[in-house]
Amino acid sequence: MTSTTHAPGVRIRDLTVVYRTPAGELPAVRGVDLELVPGTITGVVGESGSGKSTLALSLLNAVQPPGRIAAGAVEIDGLGDVLTLGGEDLRRTRGRQVGYVFQAAQNSLNPLKTIGKQLLDLGRSHDVADPRALVRDAKVLLARMGLDGGRVLDSYQHELSGGMRQRVGIMLALVLNAKVVVLDEPTTALDMITQATILRIIREVHEERELTTLVITHDVGAIAEVADGLAVMYGGRIVEHGPVRKVLATPRHPYTQGLIRAIPRLSGDISLARALPGRPPTLGTLPAQGCVFRERCERRLAVCDTDDPVVITRNGRSVACHAVERAAAVAMRKEYA
Amino acid sequence: MITGTGVTKTYRQRGSILGARQVPALRGVDFAVPRGGAVSFIGESGCGKTTLGRIIAGLETYDDGDIVIDGTSMSGLGHRARQPFFRRVQLIHQDPYSALNPTRTIHQTLSAPLALRARQTGRSRSWTDERAEELLSLVGIDPGYVLPRYPHQLSGGMRQRVVIARALTMDPDVLVADEAVSMIDVSLRLGILSLLKDLRVRLGVGVLFITHDIATARYIGDDSELYVIYRGQVVERGPTETIIAEPVHPYTQSLLSAIPVLHGLERPGEEQVVPTEALDEGRADEGCLFARRCPFVTERCEHEMPVLGRGGGEVQRHACFHPQPRSVIPVGAGQ
Repeated sequence: MTSTTHAPGVRIRDLTVVYRTPAGELPAVRGVDLELVPGTITGVVGESGSGKSTLALSLLNAVQPPGRIAAGAVEIDGLGDVLTLGGEDLRRTRGRQVGYVFQAAQNSLNPLKTIGKQLLDLGRSHDVADPRALVRDAKVLLARMGLDGGRVLDSYQHELSGGMRQRVGIMLALVLNAKVVVLDEPTTALDMITQATILRIIREVHEERELTTLVITHDVGAIAEVADGLAVMYGGRIVEHGPVRKVLATPRHPYTQGLIRAIPRLSGDISLARALPGRPPTLGTLPAQGCVFRERCERRLAVCDTDDPVVITRNGRSVACHAVERAAAVAMRKEYA
Repeated sequence: MITGTGVTKTYRQRGSILGARQVPALRGVDFAVPRGGAVSFIGESGCGKTTLGRIIAGLETYDDGDIVIDGTSMSGLGHRARQPFFRRVQLIHQDPYSALNPTRTIHQTLSAPLALRARQTGRSRSWTDERAEELLSLVGIDPGYVLPRYPHQLSGGMRQRVVIARALTMDPDVLVADEAVSMIDVSLRLGILSLLKDLRVRLGVGVLFITHDIATARYIGDDSELYVIYRGQVVERGPTETIIAEPVHPYTQSLLSAIPVLHGLERPGEEQVVPTEALDEGRADEGCLFARRCPFVTERCEHEMPVLGRGGGEVQRHACFHPQPRSVIPVGAGQ
């Protein structure tokens, strides 16, 4: 198992996750295609209600009722479609093959047990034959992240700072040699300096252990620091996807453009920054047809009310927008004319 | 106008073997929030910035120093006598989800303080409804939509605007905004920040802005002042734009260096500063508080404590023996 040299690829295909509500089943994630290239960090950025956390949970096939994965597939190299797994197979996959790091602020650690005890619990539930080796691996990982392993394993979660807890979370996700790692809001609620440290650690550990990593966050800055690829989610759809530097430098989807313009920055003319008008949709306010962003869009066309824009991929960049497509078509006609 | 001089607060932790352990939260902080002015406090969690906000809002007492509101010293007054003064300072919390009573409509939420205000100023009861609508319009939301609704029916951005409207019912002189946008969606943050900026101009209300996100401090007004606070001590202060562009204290430089760079749009500053150690509040207090984490520490820093200049004349704006401007913030890629 530890001799794997290549990170696995992950392909999310046409994924739809619905939540049961009094108004019927509503899609939190709808028709999402996303490929995680082996050995890369993909960042998914989205605001509240964009469906990004639901997407992350789908990778573990862990969407809880009233949610339900209604359609699609999540293929992980060497595992097959995770969505078809159940029972024991699924339980083993979680932790062994797919590591999940929860938000530090949410108390994902047991307050009544030391970190070491929780580590041994993890080992036992995955039938680890040699607990000593597990503890050794954990200490190596913690030391790699700048912590005193022995001290941390003897500590309760309340004895650790937010940054330390976050590193413990990363250790627990990686200690069983998972090669696919999902980090949900890894830096939310951390201080600036701690955040910078955690982001550096994520990048370094990712490279050293040859992982395929998915980072879910609302913070474009955090993604910009660590990710190779950036997927922008809005209203349950991925509206734009491409190499992070290119998407930031020349965002194409009107939402991505508005989002980047709305980020408070340290340098530059502050009068150029402005908030996006309107507000993010919730499950209840998502339009049943047409583009999910049209209510806040300054490039809205008639077709946006009726037709869902399809994702068009060109030169490694994907966008789902009627206005962008129309402009591209016009430009292309001019070129051939 | 609110000024503080030498505001000091120490928490005592009981139950330690050696008796009460003293945790200094504020070590002699001087500040001034002018009428309609804007002052930002930035620092890591545990640096004392929230304690300061709570003291200014009258929710917490201070051990030493003084707070003067419109020329009246709070130190000389008893608890009851202070209250009308502290009512002029209203606090806006970080979390708009827990700041509003979920069992009350927005109309009820605003009516209670407005009824009190009506009694205080001798206005009729009918004034409260008018005023509620006026305030909601002022904070940029449609009163007709919001008034009959409960908090859970509103988005986070709307709730924070309601919280601001509620703070304004008391006609405050100063709004203390403690991490007021950190739980708001990114696309809406600037809306709340420019609302605070607007209120300064339109109502002459001062804003004390507490945040760990330094970039947001730029957006409450280009005349704003920035205070960088570390372990209860102000280590650098000055005009917000100046401090961000030319920070001289290594702690300020560390904070600014830690802000993510939007690669593709920006490139990192050339002289980024990374602290040599993580924050450890338990350590002894000899010398400069930042000495142990400072990459530029010298012998002198270990034994002597640098302090911000006080008094008249040219006021020293940093607490460092070796101030040195460094370019640490990201630069636009096009420049």
